[in-house]
Amino acid sequence: MSREENTNFLPRALFVGILQISLVMILFCRMYYLQIFEGSHYHLLAEGNRIFSRPLVPLRGQIYDRNGCVLVENETSFRLLLLVDRKKDIESTLTALEEVISLSAEEKEEILKKVGKKHSIDAIVLKDGLTWEEVSAIELHAADLPGISLEVGARRHYPLLSEGAHVLGYVASPSEKEEEEEPILAIPGLKTGKVGLEKYFDQRLRGTPGYRTFEVNARRKIVRDLSQNESIPGEDIHLTLDGRLQKYASEVLSEYESASAVVLDIQSGEILALVSTPSFDPNLFPLGISHHEWGKLRDNPYVPMTNKVISGLYPPGSTIKMFVALAALEAGIIDKTTTVHCPGYFYVGDHPFHCWKKHGHGFINVSNAISESCDVFFYEIAKRAGIDRLSATFKAVGLGEGGGLEGFPHCKKGLIPTKEWKKDKKNANWTLSDTIMTSIGQGYMQASPLELVVVIARLVGGKKVIPHLEGGENPSFENLEFNPEHLKLIKEAMANTTNSPSGTAFFGRIQQEGKEMGGKTGTSQVRRITLEQRRAGQTKTNHLAWKYREHGIFVGYAPIHNPRYAIAVVVEHGGGPRGAIQAARDILLKAQLLEEENKE
Amino acid sequence: MKKMMDPRIFHKLFQLNWGIISLIFLISAIGWGLLISAGGGNAHIWAFKQMMRFGVGLGIMLVIALTDLRWWLRFSYIFYGLSFLLLCAVEVMGFIGMGAQRWIDLYILQLQPSELMKIALIMALARYFHSQSQPIPLSKLTPPLLLVLIPTFLVLKQPDLGTAMVLLMSGGALFFLAGVSLWTFGAALVVAGASVPLLWTFLHDYQKQRVFMFFDPSQDAHGAGYHITQSKIALGSGGFWGKGYMQGTQAYLNFVPEKQTDFIFTLLCEEWGFLGGSVLILLYSLLIFLCSRVALTSQNDFGRYVASGITMTFFLYMFINIAMVMGLLPVVGIPLPLVSYGGTAMLTLLMGFGFILNVGLHQTHKVPRLSIGIL
Repeated sequence: MSREENTNFLPRALFVGILQISLVMILFCRMYYLQIFEGSHYHLLAEGNRIFSRPLVPLRGQIYDRNGCVLVENETSFRLLLLVDRKKDIESTLTALEEVISLSAEEKEEILKKVGKKHSIDAIVLKDGLTWEEVSAIELHAADLPGISLEVGARRHYPLLSEGAHVLGYVASPSEKEEEEEPILAIPGLKTGKVGLEKYFDQRLRGTPGYRTFEVNARRKIVRDLSQNESIPGEDIHLTLDGRLQKYASEVLSEYESASAVVLDIQSGEILALVSTPSFDPNLFPLGISHHEWGKLRDNPYVPMTNKVISGLYPPGSTIKMFVALAALEAGIIDKTTTVHCPGYFYVGDHPFHCWKKHGHGFINVSNAISESCDVFFYEIAKRAGIDRLSATFKAVGLGEGGGLEGFPHCKKGLIPTKEWKKDKKNANWTLSDTIMTSIGQGYMQASPLELVVVIARLVGGKKVIPHLEGGENPSFENLEFNPEHLKLIKEAMANTTNSPSGTAFFGRIQQEGKEMGGKTGTSQVRRITLEQRRAGQTKTNHLAWKYREHGIFVGYAPIHNPRYAIAVVVEHGGGPRGAIQAARDILLKAQLLEEENKE
Repeated sequence: MKKMMDPRIFHKLFQLNWGIISLIFLISAIGWGLLISAGGGNAHIWAFKQMMRFGVGLGIMLVIALTDLRWWLRFSYIFYGLSFLLLCAVEVMGFIGMGAQRWIDLYILQLQPSELMKIALIMALARYFHSQSQPIPLSKLTPPLLLVLIPTFLVLKQPDLGTAMVLLMSGGALFFLAGVSLWTFGAALVVAGASVPLLWTFLHDYQKQRVFMFFDPSQDAHGAGYHITQSKIALGSGGFWGKGYMQGTQAYLNFVPEKQTDFIFTLLCEEWGFLGGSVLILLYSLLIFLCSRVALTSQNDFGRYVASGITMTFFLYMFINIAMVMGLLPVVGIPLPLVSYGGTAMLTLLMGFGFILNVGLHQTHKVPRLSIGIL
């Protein structure tokens, strides 16, 4: 093959070069046209328009009770938004706004703080929950308020008011710390659960924010929507609570200065009511509580903000006796026929421990010792069993575990004292006196009402129930590893407490046939009765100042033949268990009546 | 071709066309500055990563530049074949993965075979035409035509209209430079014109819409035409002097989409004005001029074709991108060469410049014609 040179290359390459130069010239011309010839026109357009991209607050899930009644709902509310562009015109906008609606100094300060935090253009919420008057006033003056826009949103509303406040919790604007941890919370207008179920289920209730992109003109009025990505509403939550029982229990407890009660389904572990008094109105929080209101709640001596069912720790008093008996029975130290003589006192060395009944119960067996709450019987069997056996049994039923409501905010764990614990914390050896005190639930021992109701439900039902607040499929629970005969014996003794004339709570029994309750009273001393006081014949604390009176406790179940409900009631400084017994009776009866009502 | 590397490597390094290298560096540096601005002053978002890629690409460029040109001639078909296989692989993976898939994930970098194909096609065509005696008879044009059309079709199916256009046009340019008779060209243009309606059916809806939008952007100012309208506003508002570095408002307010990739020229013109835009275009023109000179002074056909083909590809990138953001061409996904944020485009371009430098280094070499065959 002979080869001839490609003589066409040079001329054609030159042609391509000329073509390229012409095309580049076109680019220059176009650039000149856009930037110089039409430059001022485009400059105007560029100054005029801005694009805002703003997250949309998702609708928070609603909360329903076991009967489908709404406990937490969303109400339509109007929010006032400010599109912040450059910081300097904020002040003038606020001044103009003040002529239309009233802004407190507190609110203004809050707004300026929020503006200061924004680096670039963004929207901030000026005011939430506007009244109709304010909405119409703003609409009327819209032209004088650059950057201001109204948005329809949802406001959290709690129809139970103070009666569900502790268990349901409330929402409020996220704190700075929360915003740092989860930047998504910084979305203007988003609220987050602060306590209670609102916090417990916050992730599920919250939903997924959407995005709205829109173009605004130089006066920051929205000219057109560019895109809208709808937010996804949060999940609705159906609870095990019964709104009516919750309300009723709140009313019952409102007779006392400070009290708490919790009702549990023995079989399923469903919490039907969870009440702590005094309470607060959760509706104060979503729109921001004023300093004044907050101060009132904070300084109240009856601590309305505390959920005493889960955060209140009390010496369980005589309500622990069933478990002391259980420990002795299981260890084979006593059986149902074993009797102990109670002369009204019990000596450890030369130190006397008294029974509540001054002249004693005489010879008494375990069943009567529970129903009549004989202290000496338990001193004696506790001495025989030893603290190790007692604390092992307490642990086995689930005391000291916080009640099993995993992750619920502010759940506190009670205390089971052991030799190791005392050595560790008090740097002292365990003494027999400590065992004696523990056997009647005084001294170091502590439990929350939730823990108490759970262990009662376990004792009565024989299963290791775990409490829960969300409805749906109920899990099955393991059997407790105790002799069922022993559990039955104790359960019957508890029935006698309220139904035998010699029982300590006979006066407070449920008299409707088939609805009878069983239970156990308890009194936990806040201040020891001094020897002088005792000599002066004083064994009660009712006359003392409120905060030194004994706590009254009652744990119980109903109905006795086919136990369904377990309850724990604590009346703080009730001066004895009387109030707690009455409250428990009323609530347990109501629970059974409501059940009948539902069946019809 | 036993020795791939010349032992006197330092001597070769001195002989490299440092004018081209300096221009590449300068243009890339402008890109880094723009990427810092696009990241709101934060170099960590885009600029650092781009610098690292540039460093890697520069290494590859120098290695390619210093190897023997004849070695590349010998392996050009293999190179084409490999690129073609990768392109098919992407096609298969894209079919499985649904939607547009243009790259193979190599874990450390995402390889876009269509980018490699731009270089491989030129190498393969250059070798083919290098081996033909002049004038090239019509019957010998079928193989190179298939070399161009098959990958173009595959890329079009991905769908990547921009790359398909570049492949077709740079391939066409090589046909032209290789001395194919003007009559043949005229006939081909007629055939191509007739097949436009056929090609139209291959286009995806969004691609068709972009073409419509190009003819009347105001028709849908906040839909598909929105990008180009906003791009023009941002660019035009820069005026002669620009708004100043990091002072652009439109790009920050997210008026301009893809401000760090395809629309980065908008950012330049908004912040640096007509002046900045002109400087960049002039730098590009100078680079293209230096590269064209390499092509013209090369004394072997293979070198000439490789250098002019790659220069053409580079020119097309630049022209299509700038014309696109100024609303002169429909929006097709073509980055601004050396400036836009993106890995494979940068590597491909630097590889391409490696070949141009190589041709420049070996311009006096006699390159033997190879007989028909793969090697």
